[in-house]
Amino acid sequence: MKSKSKTLKVIVIIVLIILTIVYLLPIYVMVTNSLKTLPEITQRTYLALPKQPQFKNFSSALFGSKEFLIPMARPILNSAIITVSVTFLAVFFGGLGGYYLSRTKSKFTRVIFILVGIALYMPYQAVIIPLTTLTARIGLINSHLGLILCYMIINIPLAAVLMGTFFLGVPRELEEAAEVDGSSRIQTFFKIVIPISIPAYASVAIIIFTQVWNEFFIALTLVTPKTQTVQVAMAMTEGSTISPYNLQMAASLLTVSVPLLIFLFLGRYFIRGVLAGALKG
Amino acid sequence: MIATKTQPTQRHRKKGISISEFLVFTFPLLIFLLILYGTLLWNVYVSMANWVSTAPDFTFKGLQWYKFLFGQSRFWIDVQNNFKWLIIGVLPTTVVAIFLAYLLELAPIKGVESYVRTLILYPVAMSFVVTGTVWSWMYQPEKGVFNSILASMGIHSPFTYTNDPKTATYWLIVIFIWQYLGFAVIIIQSSFRTTELQEMVESATVDGASKLRILISVIIPNIRSGILILVSLLLINSLKVFDIVWIVTRGGPGISTDVLATNMIVTAYDQRLASAGAAIGVIIFLIAFVLVIPYTLYALRKWFE
Repeated sequence: MKSKSKTLKVIVIIVLIILTIVYLLPIYVMVTNSLKTLPEITQRTYLALPKQPQFKNFSSALFGSKEFLIPMARPILNSAIITVSVTFLAVFFGGLGGYYLSRTKSKFTRVIFILVGIALYMPYQAVIIPLTTLTARIGLINSHLGLILCYMIINIPLAAVLMGTFFLGVPRELEEAAEVDGSSRIQTFFKIVIPISIPAYASVAIIIFTQVWNEFFIALTLVTPKTQTVQVAMAMTEGSTISPYNLQMAASLLTVSVPLLIFLFLGRYFIRGVLAGALKG
Repeated sequence: MIATKTQPTQRHRKKGISISEFLVFTFPLLIFLLILYGTLLWNVYVSMANWVSTAPDFTFKGLQWYKFLFGQSRFWIDVQNNFKWLIIGVLPTTVVAIFLAYLLELAPIKGVESYVRTLILYPVAMSFVVTGTVWSWMYQPEKGVFNSILASMGIHSPFTYTNDPKTATYWLIVIFIWQYLGFAVIIIQSSFRTTELQEMVESATVDGASKLRILISVIIPNIRSGILILVSLLLINSLKVFDIVWIVTRGGPGISTDVLATNMIVTAYDQRLASAGAAIGVIIFLIAFVLVIPYTLYALRKWFE
């Protein structure tokens, strides 16, 4: 569809400039203000550059200080434990379920597929009260395991659809050849299908990781001080008297750094995952 | 492969699924689905019970809490706001994404595509909690980024953004659009890239059709499924919106930006009316269910074709 028109080139450049400003401005505000002293923020405009970058803001945001009472280190650790566990478990079980959905066509499979399809879009508000009661009843309200379980319930259907989408594209000849050689379906899956689907697993893992790391609603209702996740801690810095502006921005940057680094370095897998969820599912 | 073709019995055996295969592949997914739908049904029951304090009370009360909600003006303000989100969060995003994706397809400049992709897609990796925090800095009426930029150009800004009850919801929706635009663009872009569509565009170009004409009468009708997917995903995400509102305005000023999801939390956890909160949850689910029907049917057909 390429075109050689001059006016078009001008339009593209104008659009590019606008997009660059609109998309870099928030990041610029976040980075520069996280490096300022508090008086620099309150007395000058937010757009000014820091006179002397205050890197110690990040250690104050991580470990707390006299003015900043929400040290982010512990919530980051909590989020890491919860997110990594959910990602592994959801991708593993989702992969198994997705393989089933991609390889059978019975009525039963169709029913499961519809249930999975609706589960993908389940508003958390519709299940949060029972989930709270459930985690309390089985005594997991104050442990990471409670949150891990809740996130698994919501993310396994997603992982199943995403993995299934990829499995639909895996040629069956490979599996058939293995089965002729006497391998059972389960063996074939673990020995043939998983190894050739590692890139797909990586894409889906990145999507689930980002989603769980960024999740706020369930975390807000289920966390206790001991299991507080990074988003809930971050939300406490907003409009709060216990957090100076510069450290609020430093905390923001810490909160987004993990998924953002994944996006910047593994963007290809990230985009593939997004498209798998969108196009074929 | 030839071997399997000459062994029909073996092929036939593979159609079914053995018990051990069922246990390994299907069972875990099934268990988690059962828990999920179990909690959904449980929530429906809670919404018809009489749970009004910290201790659960499962006395059946029918639709009492739904009547309670329908009688509140706050509920109807929420519904209105949710509809604003559904329309303004979805329609402009889709239209802008289509134009932008088309422009990128036509773009005669090298390297533009990967630059723009990274530039507008990175917010997808960020949480609404952080985006909301940063955007409230952009929006502050006195010192905020937008108003300082306007002031430096000598314009006294009339905007107070999310502090103005009349327009606050729209300014919140702008944050949503900012965050989802990149996502929308890559979905549209990938639906452009089918050989059939490329060939149709080629021949329309040879026939001398203008670029806009090609977009409207060749491209858009042929990316219907891409648009259906995008619109459904955006509808669901703007219906579920909670984080942006909670972080930036917490439903305020007053209750002018309140939505069903924020009302649900306040009702169930601050006012301790668990049953009424559950009823709001059921209502959100029903709206979501209706919104995803076309998409689910499409996905079902495509998956099993």
